[in-house]
Amino acid sequence: MHLTRSARIALRIGAGLGFAVIYVPLLLVLVNSLNPDRSASWPPPGLTGRWWSAALHNSGARHALWVSVKAGLGATAIALVLGTLIAFAVARHRFFGRGTVSFVVVLPIALPGIVTGIALNSAFGTVLQPLGVGLGLFTVIVGHATFCVVVVFNNVVARLRRTTGSYEEAAMDLGATTFRAFLDVTFPLVRSALLAGALLSFALSFDEIVVTTFTAGPGIETLPIWIFGNMTRPQQAPVVNVVAAVLVLLSVVPIYLAQRLSADTATSSRV
Amino acid sequence: MASQATTAARTSGVRRLAGALHRRPRLRLALLLTAPLLWLIVLYLGSLAVLFASAFWTTDSFTSQVVKVWSTDNFHQLVTTPVFREVIVRSVGVALAVTVLCALIAFPVAFYTARVAPPRRRPLLVVAILTPLWASYLVKVYAWRLILSRGGLADWLLAPLGLGGPGFGLPATVLTLTYLWLPYMILPIHTALEQLPAQLLDASADLGARAGRTFRSVVLPMVLPSVAAGSVFTFSLSLGDYITVQIVGGKTQLIGNLVYSNIELNLPMAAALGTVPVLVIVLYLLAIRRTGALSSL
Repeated sequence: MHLTRSARIALRIGAGLGFAVIYVPLLLVLVNSLNPDRSASWPPPGLTGRWWSAALHNSGARHALWVSVKAGLGATAIALVLGTLIAFAVARHRFFGRGTVSFVVVLPIALPGIVTGIALNSAFGTVLQPLGVGLGLFTVIVGHATFCVVVVFNNVVARLRRTTGSYEEAAMDLGATTFRAFLDVTFPLVRSALLAGALLSFALSFDEIVVTTFTAGPGIETLPIWIFGNMTRPQQAPVVNVVAAVLVLLSVVPIYLAQRLSADTATSSRV
Repeated sequence: MASQATTAARTSGVRRLAGALHRRPRLRLALLLTAPLLWLIVLYLGSLAVLFASAFWTTDSFTSQVVKVWSTDNFHQLVTTPVFREVIVRSVGVALAVTVLCALIAFPVAFYTARVAPPRRRPLLVVAILTPLWASYLVKVYAWRLILSRGGLADWLLAPLGLGGPGFGLPATVLTLTYLWLPYMILPIHTALEQLPAQLLDASADLGARAGRTFRSVVLPMVLPSVAAGSVFTFSLSLGDYITVQIVGGKTQLIGNLVYSNIELNLPMAAALGTVPVLVIVLYLLAIRRTGALSSL
């Protein structure tokens, strides 16, 4: 389509505005963490680094970060195992209900978090409580793993569909057992897809607040829960600002890793 | 000697197991599927089924105990209570408004990144669209709380025009949700525009169509399925949200808030309310499927 000069300029301005809308809020969070004032009034009266050192020694935020990391690692570990198993079943076998399986995998992330949250909450209440197991970090990990399975599944199944089973057959013709063929042939083929899935899964878990609200036991506070609880307290505002700024800066890390993991697996399948 | 013997025995055991697995694809499939299906079907679908079944139970108003007697009272209340109806209509309205706003903003951005920007710069622009997806949901909502708070960036920007920011409320909620889900709309439109064959556009121009006509008759019909695909995210993510509205919505209530406020005292009612977004999303998905958009997800 041949666009007129003015149309091109209009599109360029429109896109520029769009990108400004996307990035100004994130930049504002960064600047605001240096705001000496407790209110969020703009422009800030000056810049200071003292909230950063205050946040560094804030035990609540540090503890919450640690809980989030543990929950993320736990959920990712489970999601890696379950997601990979389903991916191999769906990609390498034909069976009754194969389409349904792929649908059920997506369901936990497609339904509103609050529905998943209260469903798991009442299930844990009725099944676990009689056994003397209360809500805790364990139940958070179970809840997170449920919706993290889909990202591992998506990445691994996409990779398996592009690599046929003939490599494994060749390995077995050369005398390798099923296990040997998996370790030496299949695993290296899906390794980067697994890494991409793990990255997405950890990020999803690290960011989750709704399902966490309903599956966390007393005293289990992940970073999003901590931020949400302290966001409206004026006394805590400066520390919340710094934690928010740190999270904005940290979001560059997965982008960098995802780019290194080759564009085709990680970037195209966030959901 | 002995250790060599056990190693050999173990190796042959592994070989036998591998052989057995190789000869029985059904056994292999069963081993692959048992654990994940137990997790997803028993744990997840089981919990969901119990939740939705409990929507047909009631709560004793004196003791707050759940009474497990089948009744459709909750759904009857849902349809007849004005507050519930109002909130449901408002929630669907918010989800639709967010979707339309996202599409309107996403189109020029995607058109620029896919067809106007120099090809060398396009991959970088895609990364620039993706990056905010990795930033924390809560931090992005918090950013808008900062922008919209009294004396914040919105007030400061609009002050020269003699206006104030919208403050916290329904418009702030729509704005923040639009911001949150915008990348989910830009990406599919970008992909569709990128894959649009240049010959089609040339043919349209050769046949005498100006840019506007080509856009309406060629570009739009081919990109619409991708808009529909993006709208699945913007619509369903907005419909289930109750955190954003708590942070920037002032006193605004959406379905999620009603579900949340009923959980403690009246779980059956919360479950009944929870079926509404699920039902609306399923209907939306069915409607979208007719456009063939789901295959391009």
